[in-house]
Amino acid sequence: MPERLMLSIGTKKGLFVAEASKTRRGFALRGPFGPGVPVYTTLIDNRGTPRLYASSCNPFFGMKVLRSTDMGKSFKETKSAPAFPKDDGRALANIWSLEPGAGKKDLWCGVEPASLFRSGDGGDTWEMVQGISNHEHARKWQPGNGGLCMHTIIRDGDRVHLGISTGGHYLSEDGGATFKASNQGVGAGFAPDPYPEFGQCVHKIVRHDDAPGRLYMQNHGGWAEWDGPGGRRPDIGVLRSDDHGKTWRSIAKGLPSDFGFPIVVHPQDADTVYVMPLVPETRTCPGGAPAVWRSENGGDSWSKLVKGLPKKQSYFTIQRDAMDIDKLKSPALYFGTTTGQLWIGRDGGEEWECLFDSLPPIHCVKVAVV
Amino acid sequence: MPRRGRPDCPGPAGGATLAAVAITVLVPSPLRPYCGGASELSLSAPSVRAALDEIERRHPSLHRNVCDETGAVRRHVNLFVNTSHVRDREGLDTALMPGDVLTILPAVSGG
Repeated sequence: MPERLMLSIGTKKGLFVAEASKTRRGFALRGPFGPGVPVYTTLIDNRGTPRLYASSCNPFFGMKVLRSTDMGKSFKETKSAPAFPKDDGRALANIWSLEPGAGKKDLWCGVEPASLFRSGDGGDTWEMVQGISNHEHARKWQPGNGGLCMHTIIRDGDRVHLGISTGGHYLSEDGGATFKASNQGVGAGFAPDPYPEFGQCVHKIVRHDDAPGRLYMQNHGGWAEWDGPGGRRPDIGVLRSDDHGKTWRSIAKGLPSDFGFPIVVHPQDADTVYVMPLVPETRTCPGGAPAVWRSENGGDSWSKLVKGLPKKQSYFTIQRDAMDIDKLKSPALYFGTTTGQLWIGRDGGEEWECLFDSLPPIHCVKVAVV
Repeated sequence: MPRRGRPDCPGPAGGATLAAVAITVLVPSPLRPYCGGASELSLSAPSVRAALDEIERRHPSLHRNVCDETGAVRRHVNLFVNTSHVRDREGLDTALMPGDVLTILPAVSGG
């Protein structure tokens, strides 16, 4: 069977799957799966026989993990979802991230309240990862507007990077057994100390295989006019690390706003990175004119990509996991909006087209070749 | 056949040891896949808490839909003994009488 391009789209009202040939013409949409239930994360797992996973965050009956073994044509609940031990005192409120582990059926799952779980059997059973879930800081983390969520899990050999809102960036160098807060240079605009040890509202982190040690972070920016204790904190929103996340520096100069949620790196060029700046107060597109901003030199300068996007009267938000990029030769970007539009940016975002314009509010978008 | 919607009866005097009694649990349609498709469960329990414990033993997946890991009934799930919400009686300690009907219902909420 020829390779296909698959999009998984998590929305407020369930999961949608869109599929197209590698020409990206004629995406066929199916769903919703888990209808009526919010989906905050998905995973297109193409290790071996492709599997699709999605969190199904049921406000009535609790959290589920959905799994498809037929390329997203049908989904069933796994035998169990992550759950805190009975004597822990915490209860699962949301599932924010699903990532592949080392083994073919290994999965990692970040949840709310911020904790990490692992499965060795494709999501049927789960075990809490003590090193971060019961970290000495864990009971001091505070929820952001979206809840106290562990939204980013990046595995890099024995290193594991976690993004927590609001907790900051945590790094393990022993495969996830132990973690340290690693936030030097990561600012916080909502605390008296502008650079605390932990507690930052990290929005998303990405890395690239071809640039060992480099990470990009979209942090909670928008503090250029802050006049409270500690003074102004401009440009703390978009950051880069070149030492495996031990120190971070701003790369926000040149952007119209350092506030945003997603950050995406080009699959073939570690110097090319994309963000979607938003007005910090409203979390909507500046001037009602959405634009993806691209840097082709690792964040030294930025240019905007707007061809085909609305020029006015568009006040949506793009959530932290609602932008992705495919891995084809000339990759396309995809982003979903809180107004239910799914956009494709062909040729690395040079030209935009709305694929679907009336989906439920979109929480997350993932793309893969399967 | 259990009696449906009969007036609620007061439980035994406080402090008395409760004896398990036969009751019926009504399961709403979204949760029936978690108990083999059954719309009703027959079980013996002296209180709502004990009934939930029995549900956890027999149908752990069903219990997980009704209660979170701490044992608390989920925020948007309501439990009724006959026609009374358990919060208007003794909560999970509400005593059950023979023939009582414990109804699990999702709350009206969302958007």
